[in-house]
Amino acid sequence: MMRLLRSLLPGRRKLGFAYLFSLAISVALALLLGALMMRLTGYSPVEGYAALVKGAFGTRRALGNTLAKAVTLSMTGLAMAVAAQAGIFNVGGEGQLFLGGMAAAIVGSQLTGWPAAVAVPLAFVAAITAGGLYALLPGVLKVRLKVNEVITTIMLNSVAIYLCAYLANGPLRTADKGIAAGTNAIDPAYVFPRLIPLSNLTASAVYAAVLALLCWYVMKRSTIGYEMKLTGQNPRFARYMGMKTDRLILWSMAASGALCGIVGLFEVYGLHRRFIPSLSNEFYFDGMLVAMIMRYDPVGIVLMSVFFAMLKIGGTAMELGVGISSELILIVQSIIIFFMAAQSGLARIVRERRGRRAARRRIEGKNVPQGEATS
Amino acid sequence: MREQQSAVRFTRVSMQFSGVLANDNVTLDIHSGEVFALVGENGAGKSTLMNILYGLHTPTAGDVYVRGKRVERYSPAGAITMGVGMVHQHFMLVPSFTVAQNIVLSREPKRRGLLYDFKKAEETVHALVNEYGLSVDPGARVSQLGLGLQQRVEILKTLHRGADILILDEPTAVLTPQETDDLFAVIRRIVQEKGMTVILITHKLYEVMALSDRVGVMRGGRLVGLEETKNVNERMLASMMTGSEMPPGQFAREGSAGDTAVEVLGLQTLNDRGLPAVKGVSFSIRRGEILGVAGIEGNGQSELVEAIAGLRPLRGGEVRIRGQRINGLLPGEIRGLGLAHVPEDRRLTGASLQADVTDNLLAGRQREKRFAVGRIHRKRGAARQYAEKLFRAFDIRGAGVDAPAGSLSGGNLQKVVVAREFSFDAPVFLISQPTRGVDIGAARSIHQSIVDKRNAGAAVLLVSADLDEVFQLSDRIITMYEGRITGEFTAGSIEKAEIGYYMTGDRIARHHSGEEAL
Repeated sequence: MMRLLRSLLPGRRKLGFAYLFSLAISVALALLLGALMMRLTGYSPVEGYAALVKGAFGTRRALGNTLAKAVTLSMTGLAMAVAAQAGIFNVGGEGQLFLGGMAAAIVGSQLTGWPAAVAVPLAFVAAITAGGLYALLPGVLKVRLKVNEVITTIMLNSVAIYLCAYLANGPLRTADKGIAAGTNAIDPAYVFPRLIPLSNLTASAVYAAVLALLCWYVMKRSTIGYEMKLTGQNPRFARYMGMKTDRLILWSMAASGALCGIVGLFEVYGLHRRFIPSLSNEFYFDGMLVAMIMRYDPVGIVLMSVFFAMLKIGGTAMELGVGISSELILIVQSIIIFFMAAQSGLARIVRERRGRRAARRRIEGKNVPQGEATS
Repeated sequence: MREQQSAVRFTRVSMQFSGVLANDNVTLDIHSGEVFALVGENGAGKSTLMNILYGLHTPTAGDVYVRGKRVERYSPAGAITMGVGMVHQHFMLVPSFTVAQNIVLSREPKRRGLLYDFKKAEETVHALVNEYGLSVDPGARVSQLGLGLQQRVEILKTLHRGADILILDEPTAVLTPQETDDLFAVIRRIVQEKGMTVILITHKLYEVMALSDRVGVMRGGRLVGLEETKNVNERMLASMMTGSEMPPGQFAREGSAGDTAVEVLGLQTLNDRGLPAVKGVSFSIRRGEILGVAGIEGNGQSELVEAIAGLRPLRGGEVRIRGQRINGLLPGEIRGLGLAHVPEDRRLTGASLQADVTDNLLAGRQREKRFAVGRIHRKRGAARQYAEKLFRAFDIRGAGVDAPAGSLSGGNLQKVVVAREFSFDAPVFLISQPTRGVDIGAARSIHQSIVDKRNAGAAVLLVSADLDEVFQLSDRIITMYEGRITGEFTAGSIEKAEIGYYMTGDRIARHHSGEEAL
């Protein structure tokens, strides 16, 4: 289990041409299998996929919804990638997201009547602090006591989600009887403007673009990213070379949690306008998948997020329009993931075969003139 | 010798891993009913050879025969069927299970063909324990047993599976002296009374002398010696293990030693298993001086170096580098005092195999002005150029600076580590096994670089399993045995043949009542 997880961590393999090639084949095969299933259930694949693409990009509203979905996926995916760069498997993003959303909602609903230019940054600070500190907890446990972060982060998800549910149903419950559960609404002045009317695409996308750029820069172009990468690949080497590996691990964990907290803020300030217990439907786990498929490459994560968002939004439209069950899209997604998981294994087998054959040739060639070679 | 039947036969076995020829054309016969010791330094290929026998690797070339029968498919399951059992250095037991449950694991006795018969399991193990005289309580939980008893459970497990050829990989590494004596008694009993064949992998020579009938010496993947134990002594084995094919070289030494740069006082530290590895070692090194440490591997040299580099906590004593006490400092802080370090293990410590060669060569300098704007923004072009320069200067052969370091052969990876560390203008160098696995030409140039550093006024601590290397380069030599310094010499005041006494320490004095040691 741990070996499997470790093989999923970054640095193992790069996002090279060969990988992208097999990714393209996987996607094509998955779509082909999806087409086959449509055929078998009596629908036209051409019609189905046309409805899917149209449903995702066909109208301004659809486009907005697809991009909004991509924003969530790429932010959570990048959160996963930032931690993974330093060798940490942060499975606790969901909890960090909830706490960030709750903290932002408290700020927005308690500090009403402030100028948005003050209150919104404060909400960001609250979300970043809540998510970051909550991620720091398993980080400290890992660094100080060598407690495996996979287990602690998974466990802490439930703690955060139920804590927030308690707050939203209990002490912080809105007085509004029309709301099933949730905090008070934030001041309407703080709500993010919509970039495309009637769609879910809000100013979150602008913040997300800035954050994605920052992530890419830190991971790919900064000395800190370099040190995080070496720490993730071989912590012993990084320490031996003089890097402060403990501190790097803590910072990347905090950054990962902060990004998740911000996604929580996006959901509150962009869409729901208050904290609700169903703030996220496992958004972080979807992002994790995207990040893992793209081997934690920031650019790759953003692009793949758009694709997965298309499947998600277009899938619903396809069901409504043509009648093909949107579960089919889940199957297509699963097949892509399945192929990509198999890909690493297959590539290894091929590589080992090839290496063994080459080595055998070398040795057998060498055994003959050995007397000369060793003289 | 009762019988001379062949238990195991290796014919022209070679094993190639990526870049490393771990076994090179090994032909070896192990007789039935003997204790055969296989000795060699780390990386000599002894574990690889035995892992082949146990079916963990398929040899790249050559064949293995067990009792005359050729091994067709290499797998542990196959090896067990042929009667080969192996006890690894790291035990493979389920801690929460009882002794009996562990021993019958995967062949549990069943009641009505379905239910686990715990009672039967304990009875079976009881019978086994009595048959072999290996006392251990079948009902005890493994997590509550000491390492010596856990090892006994491992041995019983292989016996339960019908092994009569037993491979023990460094069995005494984790044991106390008392547990070691018990293990030896057990081995003698199962060989003499049950006619088993035992293969002992070790680099502790007194164990070879105490226990084995015959001994094979491996070096650099090849079998370089095969003797009846009664015809050799520890000293002869030591020289077979540590000899090298390196041509003697002369290096021009200039200048005389200056101020003291490194002071080690009563240093104590533990090994990875928490046992004392260095038991109070003191020495000093002056600038412009190479201090060589000679010793059979596993006598505390590695731990000593790691403690000085800050990679292993000190348990006692102190270390000063250029007058500064380093106790409790991080490795990076110690480097800041002017230390560079070529570690003995290039794959685990000396490099990141997944990172490309550029990243490996740059490490430690990433925040320098010429490689980063404001310590943050990487100048990747400058880094690449710098790496290419070192790549050429050290004649590294490989797919180039953009290839992952893991794709380089062992010798070339070593050059990457050496190139990086020697590019630091440090007054103190810790150098461990600098030329292991490196071809002769490269080894010579590494040697020249070490002497150049010395001539330029650096203090060098050189640890090597290769005696010739220590003799060629050092101004002074200390010998280590069992975590202590057993001798100190200036270059030229002692012969290579003579230093074996000190490297095998008081053991010779003990086993031969002192006559030979003095």
